[in-house]
Amino acid sequence: MSADGLGAGADPVDIRQEMLDAAGYLSRPAASDAPPAQRRAGRTSDLSIDEEFALHAIGWEPVQLVCGASLYSVPMGVWNWGQGEITSASEAYARAFAGASDRLHQECTTMGGRGVVGAHVEVEVHRHHVDVTIVGTAVRPVGSRGLSADPVFVSDLSGRDFALLHQAGWTPLGLAAGASFVYAPRRSAGVAMKQKNQNVELTNFTEAMYSARESAMERMQSAALAMDGTGVVQVHVEEGPMAFASHAVSFTAFGTVVRLVDRHTRLTPRMILPLDDPTPAFDATSLRGG
Amino acid sequence: MSDVPQDLPKEAGHRLEELEAGLFTSDLSVNEFLLIKEVGFHPVGFVMGSSIYHTGIQTRKWGQSQELEKLTGAMYEARELAMTRMEEEAAELGADGVVGVRLDVNYYEWGKDAAEFIAVGTAVKAESGVSHLNKLGKPFTSDLSGQDFWTLMQTGYIPQGLVMGTCVYHIAHRGLGQTLGSAGQNVELPNFTQALYEARELAMTRMQDEATRLDASGIVGVRLEEKSHQWGSHTIEFLSLGTAVGKTSDTVTLPRPTTIISLDN
Amino acid sequence: MTTAPEPDDVPEAAARRFAGGAFTSGLTVPDFAACLQMGLEPVGFVQGFCVMQWQWYGMGSPYGTFGVPFQGSTSGYSQTWQCPHGFVSAEHRSWGQNYEQSWIEDAWRQGFVSAYDRMIEEATSVGAHGVVGVVDSSDRLSDLGVLEFRVQGTAVRVTDGPPPAGGIPWTTYLAGQRLAKSIEAGLAPVSIAATVSSVRVWAYCITEYLTEGSAGGWGYQSAAAEIEQMSEAHMAVRRIARQQVRTQLEGDSLRGASMITTERELGHGDAEVQCILRGNRVRRFKAFDPLPPPQPTVRLL
Repeated sequence: MSADGLGAGADPVDIRQEMLDAAGYLSRPAASDAPPAQRRAGRTSDLSIDEEFALHAIGWEPVQLVCGASLYSVPMGVWNWGQGEITSASEAYARAFAGASDRLHQECTTMGGRGVVGAHVEVEVHRHHVDVTIVGTAVRPVGSRGLSADPVFVSDLSGRDFALLHQAGWTPLGLAAGASFVYAPRRSAGVAMKQKNQNVELTNFTEAMYSARESAMERMQSAALAMDGTGVVQVHVEEGPMAFASHAVSFTAFGTVVRLVDRHTRLTPRMILPLDDPTPAFDATSLRGG
Repeated sequence: MSDVPQDLPKEAGHRLEELEAGLFTSDLSVNEFLLIKEVGFHPVGFVMGSSIYHTGIQTRKWGQSQELEKLTGAMYEARELAMTRMEEEAAELGADGVVGVRLDVNYYEWGKDAAEFIAVGTAVKAESGVSHLNKLGKPFTSDLSGQDFWTLMQTGYIPQGLVMGTCVYHIAHRGLGQTLGSAGQNVELPNFTQALYEARELAMTRMQDEATRLDASGIVGVRLEEKSHQWGSHTIEFLSLGTAVGKTSDTVTLPRPTTIISLDN
Repeated sequence: MTTAPEPDDVPEAAARRFAGGAFTSGLTVPDFAACLQMGLEPVGFVQGFCVMQWQWYGMGSPYGTFGVPFQGSTSGYSQTWQCPHGFVSAEHRSWGQNYEQSWIEDAWRQGFVSAYDRMIEEATSVGAHGVVGVVDSSDRLSDLGVLEFRVQGTAVRVTDGPPPAGGIPWTTYLAGQRLAKSIEAGLAPVSIAATVSSVRVWAYCITEYLTEGSAGGWGYQSAAAEIEQMSEAHMAVRRIARQQVRTQLEGDSLRGASMITTERELGHGDAEVQCILRGNRVRRFKAFDPLPPPQPTVRLL
């Protein structure tokens, strides 16, 4: 759903007058008539103006840009042939993610924010280290200062998604991540291939990949439960062979943990039919997927 | 159809227990999550099913265009197995259906003739407690996005299941004489035309048969995909996918949409 | 932005271009329409360039037989690590340091400010009130060891409006509807703000082993361990960039920022981390009246 500005009772804005007001303000020799509190504000934010509008509509404002970074080493030799899970790589991922998340959390608290919105999560798994960096904007309810009873949250939800969830009665808690790295069962592959003339399932493989996928998801879930969350939304799931070691496969998942505050409030969206472009001509290739 | 394994791998058990205890996970975006709630469903958990199948063939220059039935069978079974496991996970969670289903194929360097078929989606359950299981008594599956699911429910229809039909077809190599004969001209290649026509028909018919089994009123969101996987360009798999729908028992009036003209870029 | 050297006169070609009747602009059609709606009249496309020599700045390696700890730039960020092993050999990195490469930051600032001031001069020469849709870049020119700074935008005048105080045009990265929304939110553009921070990592033995995975027998880890020196460098480079910007802001706010960090690995655990932080410096000129919560919709197409 999108949030178009169709709110009832919104006065039409005379943007030309607004621009003249702004120009008039800037033409005064010194902006010393700005209230001192605002002059000291010095806020930084990487939210777009649309996101700021969405936040303001629910009474929240940006405070400061915050970030967290953590790099963990992966011991040598773990990517060589082996059996089962590459536990040190999985551990490096988990610790780096938690470390970056914690630092982000700390910066937000120091800046006086109630939580972080729009966090961009970047994870890079190299042969010898896992790097996690998270950058976002700390936000808080307008005019609130000091600590509150609620814990500080971290989320990779955009400003708009945060506002929508807030209206529906949910609050984000933090980021939960889970990863598992496994060796593909190679040696048994050669044997299995020779023996099978028919096209059948290779159950050994299935088991190995399955368990890796399950482990990653389960770790993410445990992290979510530890935060006392109701659920995890917008989970990004990625899997595939490592660029530097094709016989090792990674499964990673992370998402934002949310909790229902009281009860879910329905938003009742309106169905709209945009009369923009003419109906595109029938295109046979559109029947093909992708 | 090969034997469907009765038990899911044991590692799945622990994860599913946590989901049953009340925590939900989903790869739905916030928009989709809210729209699903609007129509009275709640996400229960991210469910997955996968199977790794041996899919090699001996390529020969057959003179005839023909369906490779054994391979068709294998491709179908592989996906069925992945879907069934996903449905089992959903059933274990007490879900009514799975939305946003994605069917992917992964190839790994270490398994030249093997491919992994994966089915993932988000299991959902009706908050009213009314059962929405399909005619076969299983949770419905659909590859509709959250937005499409909401729109479909507004019309009074509900997904019954993700239906698919597949056909692996080998296109005959043209003899040298034939190739020389039509060189330099723009002519129809009747072999090819016939072959592709037949293959697509087979795939779509099989898909429709599945829908009939579910007692569906129709199929929406049909996609036709063509893949050569690892077999070279003369062997193509035609996959037809769609969501079978049926009427819900509730009567729903369609709301009138507001027409707008947006001044976006 | 007042520390740049005096820019040269506006190039003759630019003066000719502005004297002509029609204006050029970097605006797209929707942005152009939005500008007119706001009462902003495009005057011309303005630009400023500066080419800086860009060799590898810095000290030689402090390692080797005559290595001594680096002492310079004590005003900037600096952190040292000592090797925990008692044994020292000629190749063993017994200490390491992270420090801020302020000479790189200064040089970047000089190049950027020169280019920016030249663009402002072109804009002033046509009587512009502001410059919208600014685009800036710093590109290496092939392998010549030079860095070219470019700042370009569309100069505009506020119809029937007063020029800004001091006659210096305001500037903003925004254009079109996004600028209109910013004005509507009560935020007046002051100028674009951009800064670079650069941290050099001279790895000590532990960092080298952890980053390279070498099992030198010293500090070999069998489990995952945090590479503290690198984590600190990453946190520091972003922190420095934000601090620098806050100094430039002088109490105003930075909105719509973008922070891009790049890392260059130099081998043996050494690295250089650089962060470019850009954004719009804005000042609140009226209280913001929040819109009522927007109506959620679902499109049928």
